[in-house]
Amino acid sequence: MSKTSENPDLTGLADLDKLVHEPARLAVMSLLYVIERADFTFLMNQTGLTWGNLSTHLSKLEKAGYIKVEKSFKGKRPSTTLCLTSQGREIFHEYVIKMKKIFQDIPG
Amino acid sequence: MTTQLNLKEIERKAFRSTYQDGLWDIYLGLVVEGMAIFIYRPASGYSAMNIIIALLVFALAYGIFWVGKKYITVPRLGQVTFGKIRKRKNTTLAIILGVFVLILAVLVAVTTFGWASPAIISSFINDRIKGLVFVAAICAFIVGASMIVRVNFMDFPRGYYISILIAMAVFLMISLNQPIYPILLGGLIIIPGLVLFIRFLKKYPLHRKETIHE
Repeated sequence: MSKTSENPDLTGLADLDKLVHEPARLAVMSLLYVIERADFTFLMNQTGLTWGNLSTHLSKLEKAGYIKVEKSFKGKRPSTTLCLTSQGREIFHEYVIKMKKIFQDIPG
Repeated sequence: MTTQLNLKEIERKAFRSTYQDGLWDIYLGLVVEGMAIFIYRPASGYSAMNIIIALLVFALAYGIFWVGKKYITVPRLGQVTFGKIRKRKNTTLAIILGVFVLILAVLVAVTTFGWASPAIISSFINDRIKGLVFVAAICAFIVGASMIVRVNFMDFPRGYYISILIAMAVFLMISLNQPIYPILLGGLIIIPGLVLFIRFLKKYPLHRKETIHE
């Protein structure tokens, strides 16, 4: 058995980006990572979050520069389109690698 | 590895959610109905009326699909653009379908030519009935195969069931020349589509305008 498996390195947990690690934001980031862009309604339906909850999380992600929010009008209807920024994509990718490493290090 | 699989699953789930409205089923079912009229050869002779009615049914099918997606599905489900892999798949699909359409066009031309000049066909196949069954089998195979390729690229599981019904409709239509069979098979595609459409309307009520913009 390797040394890593005997003494799992859990210090990586402290390095995780807490903004991404929160379940609702993780759901949003995961979804935006695998698609190109989506509007507010689509995200709400896919994540199962309420309007207010999703809006709060999106504001935090936008403030951190992880997502880009574009507001426009389709006819008379307001539309909000969201996508990951290159920084957000990079951060999420790093997060996935770190998580993968943490779970690989834990035995059993 | 698990993480990678989950991300793929998230993307697939999001992509397949766009089929929940049943509009593809309704559209393809109506196309089968149009096809039944288009292929049917009345005893009085094939007329332009067949083509006109079939084109009207095709236009109606596409109209329902387009209006449904734009005014019913998108406001309820939301708008999404998928990544590069899906776009690349669409391009490959368009090329493959183009080849299938070309093969089918040649087959339709040859069949029409054969009906117009039975003497030419009889030089290849002695029995006219056997000839019809032969042409029906080839056309059903081409249509069925192209549909299966299409639904595979579209990641549309219900499409396999639809593909089989469409291939059966083509076979029965050409070999028996009875529009009732493809019309019934078209109905078997439309009915589940309608059920899904009603379920979709219940599952995704329209959000009020003021709650859309945050």
